[in-house]
Parts: sequence; structure tokens; C-alpha cells
Amino acid sequence: MNTRYYEFFCPVKVIAGQAALEHIPFELSSRAASRPMIITDKGVRGAGLLEPVISACEESDQEIVAIYDDVPPDSSTDVVRAIAAIYRQEKCDSIIAIGGGSAIDTAKAVNILVSEGGDDIAAYAGAGVLKRPLKPFFVLPTTAGTGSEVTSVAVIADTRKQVKLPYSSPFLLPDVAVIDPRMTLTLPPHITAATAMDAMTHATEAFTCLQKNPLSDAYAAAAVRKISDNLLKVMDNPKDSEGRLELAQASTMAGIAFSNSMVGLVHSLGHSVGALCHLPHGVCMSLLLPYVLEFNLERIREPLGELLLHLAGPDVYALTPKAQRAEESIATIRKLRDELHKRCNLPRTLKETGKVEESQLDRIAEMALDDGSIMFNPREVSLADARAVLQNAWG
Amino acid sequence: MLARRIKPVALQARKIYVKLMMEVVGRSLQAISDLDPSIREETRVLPDGFLFEMTVMPHGPALVMQKLPKGRLRYCGEKGPEAADLSIRFKHIAHAFRVLSFQEKTSEAFAYDRMLVDGDIGYALRMTRVLNRLEAFILPKLLAERAVKEYPGNLGLSEKLLQAARIYLQVASQFLATVKLA
Repeated sequence: MNTRYYEFFCPVKVIAGQAALEHIPFELSSRAASRPMIITDKGVRGAGLLEPVISACEESDQEIVAIYDDVPPDSSTDVVRAIAAIYRQEKCDSIIAIGGGSAIDTAKAVNILVSEGGDDIAAYAGAGVLKRPLKPFFVLPTTAGTGSEVTSVAVIADTRKQVKLPYSSPFLLPDVAVIDPRMTLTLPPHITAATAMDAMTHATEAFTCLQKNPLSDAYAAAAVRKISDNLLKVMDNPKDSEGRLELAQASTMAGIAFSNSMVGLVHSLGHSVGALCHLPHGVCMSLLLPYVLEFNLERIREPLGELLLHLAGPDVYALTPKAQRAEESIATIRKLRDELHKRCNLPRTLKETGKVEESQLDRIAEMALDDGSIMFNPREVSLADARAVLQNAWG
Repeated sequence: MLARRIKPVALQARKIYVKLMMEVVGRSLQAISDLDPSIREETRVLPDGFLFEMTVMPHGPALVMQKLPKGRLRYCGEKGPEAADLSIRFKHIAHAFRVLSFQEKTSEAFAYDRMLVDGDIGYALRMTRVLNRLEAFILPKLLAERAVKEYPGNLGLSEKLLQAARIYLQVASQFLATVKLA
């Protein structure tokens, strides 16, 4: 797979490591922002993750003007409108999103409304509608998986029209992503595993799909290495602050990789399984990944073989004949999933989820063919192909 | 000196080629939607009257297709009766030329950011599958393999030749009808 042309863009300032939260006041002031609003959810607040952020700001006399902590798991246009109204009422001038994918996507959409004006977020849906920079926007991810802190997209549900509105613009990229190990330290084992496997899938697909390029490859390979080296350590010792930081960085790196190289069939199928069977995205990614890699194998043998170095380390890589490295990569991913299943029952097959009926596989396959990521899969996927992959993943 | 004179001619020729190919593709799409049930299977979910355009930024050439009842497609020429519901836009005539001269697959052109999609991405994928199937039928296998991500393994030579002959016949009659009207 030769890349004859590529584009790569990531202007997000990444602030990562110990005491990263304490850099927020300076970063706000350097963007002439003094009245930030925090957008988060009840889970984040309940887990006590706001306190270190607020404390870091107060110590530097940085006031947090408003906090909205009621973002639902599937955010909507109504929620976005309500938050924008509070932002305006409190005369805020910047946004700090704290949470997972939903809080971050909601904050991106709020930023559109408060920067562009109006109450109709649907008017800005689509690609390239935004033409100028938005308000200063900081993101503090509390899961190590979505990579939303470095992506230029958001999805918001219009509950009245029963449609999901996609937003895509380079101006949706945050100004600053703050990666502090304190933000993921209390993540429960099951979510730690699922979100890390989400990041693993982002990196693996970024490294093997059609839009791969030298720069995204570098981020993807490093992300795979960090996840392979640290995920089981963190599962065994959840308070491993260094390991948590490594996973959080891996998630960001995988996010940078896939937002510049796109993803493939794991995501096409995973989005459909998630939508129809209400399974968490990370769980879908984890259980589908090896089956899709097997389907794509002959088209991705070379890059997948290269990934073995990062998945299993130099010894295994050196001992494995070149012709078998791709298969060994898949086997290594399967072993990792087995270990995660032992530790937290992370499902390895659709059947193990207990939430998918075999009778749903046809519909899932049909939906997957309409998912944008399928375009970037290295192999053409027919309805029968998608159905066959799902059958293999059934268990 | 000579090179300076030849370059504008080459650029003009490229534009004429893209324009001609857009028309051939448009008319072939109309023909194949009449002849091939699996194409109609793809297009039948589009709303009737749905307008699809493939165009080159900033001012064309372009092709516009309209969805008719029962999954059939009608070639509207370079302009539709109203704004398109779905646009696939090449960023530059050079990018359109690469795809239409089979130097780059459609999927590669998407991956290399040569094209922008404005509209429902699911519909865009359907139209891409329709274009791929058309190319598999009307191009010699060697060329088709360069144009589509994966040449359909189940497409036998006799089916391909028969279908290609029917498509070319219909396209030729469409051209003739246009000439007579003009």
C-alpha cells in the first residue's frame, strides 16, 4: 500500500503528564480567556473529577464561571441549546469539556452556537460549514479511548427529527487537550478495558486502512505500543498512575492517527452494532477487531505484520518469520482480549455480550454498508462479506 | 518555447476528456439502471426525484443524475432542475482526470482527499458502489481493476460482455437521439 498523497493536520496543543491540570489557568490567560464554563456529566462530577480542576484554577485565581454537569450519554440538540443559553447568560468566554465522547461532542456543538450565534445547531451540520475559529476550547478526557480531544468531528442527536447530525470542521478541534493521570485514575476496570481497546482499534485501523500515511503511522504505532505495554498492568493495578498516563496518551495519539487516516470496517460494523443493540462503542471495537483483521488479511499483510513489533515487542517480532507476522499480530490481539475477558468479562464475541440476537446480524450488515468508514477499508465489502464477518464474530 | 505552447493545449484536452467522460458515465448510469437489477437494488432507497451530481470545482464539468421511480436513474446533463441533494466534488480538474483516466481508484481519490462529499454519506456510498459496478461492466478487466477497489469475483466474462454491449448500445442511441434533437 503506497501512499501517493496525504494530508495531516493537528493543531491541538497537548498538555500531558503530572500536574497538567495546573497548566489550565496559564493556558486560558494566554488565550485572553477569563470566564470559562465547564461542560461535563453527572458521572464525572460524582467521581470527584471536577475538584482537582476547580482547585487548580482557584489556586491561580481563575474563576470557573459556570458548570453544566448534566450531559446525557446520547446528547441532543435540546441539551446543546440549553447549555448555550447558560453560557450566554453567565457571559462566559471559553469552554472546558470534561468527560468522555458525549460531553466532548456536546461541548463542541455548544462552542459552535456560542461562537456563531443563534439557537439552531442543526443549521451548522455537515462538513466545512464553519468558516472561522470558535471560542477558546479545552478538553480534559476522563476515558482513555475516544480520542475526541484531537478530532474535528462531533455527532449530536436531533431527538425531534430522530436523526443524528454530524459536524465536521477543523475549527471544532480543541485549542488544548489536557492529559492528566488523575482524570482516569478512578475509571472502572470494564470501562478501562473497553476504552483502551477502542484506542487500540483506532490505531490498528489507522495503520492498516486506505488513508494511512507516514505521520499517522508514527502515532498509530506508538499508541499500539503504549496500550500493549500498559493495559494489563493497569488492569492489575488500577492505581498505577504512570500506566494510566501512558494509556491516556495512547488514546490521544490513536485519536491523532485515525483523525488523519480514517478507520475501516471494524468501525462500520461497530457503529451499526452499537446503534441497533445499544452496546458501548469500545466493547463493539474490541470484539470485532480480530475478525475484521482476518477478513482484510491479504490486503494488509505487510502493515499488520509490522504492527507485531509494537503489539508483542522486539523478541516475539524477531522470532516470528516475516510471512507469519500478520497472523501473529491477530493472535496477540486475541490473547489480549482473552486476558481482558478473564479480568473483567469484556466480551470477545457478539454472543458473549448477551445483548445481540443472531437474527439482528442481517440488519447490522445492511446498516454497516452505509457507514462512511467502509470507504476506507482496504477490501471492498459486500453485504455477504459483512454478514460473514458478523457470523464469525457471533461466537 | 514549444513546451509553453503545448501546455495550454494539453490542459484543454484534459478538460475536454473529463467533460466527455462525465457525459459517458452519466449516460451509462442511466442505461445500467435500466438493465441491472442489482443497481436498482442500490438506488431504490433514494427518494424519487433525488438529484446526485458529480462535479469538478470550481465551475465543472459536471454530471447530474435524477432518481426515478423503481430505482431508475435519468441523466440530466451538466445541470439539474434544482440544487443537488448529494454532491461529490473533485477539488481540481487534475483530480477528476486521474480518476476518469483510471490512474486512481474512486476509493483512493476519497482517501487522498481529492473529493468532497456534500450530502448524506450513506447515499454517497451507494452511488459509489453503483459507479464501481458500472465500471466493472463497461471497462476491460485490466482497466476495471485499476478503477475499482476490488473487481467482482462473481462477474463472468459472458455476463460482462452481454451487459457491456447492452449499455454501450443504449448510450449510443442516447447520443444519437441528442444529435437528432440538436
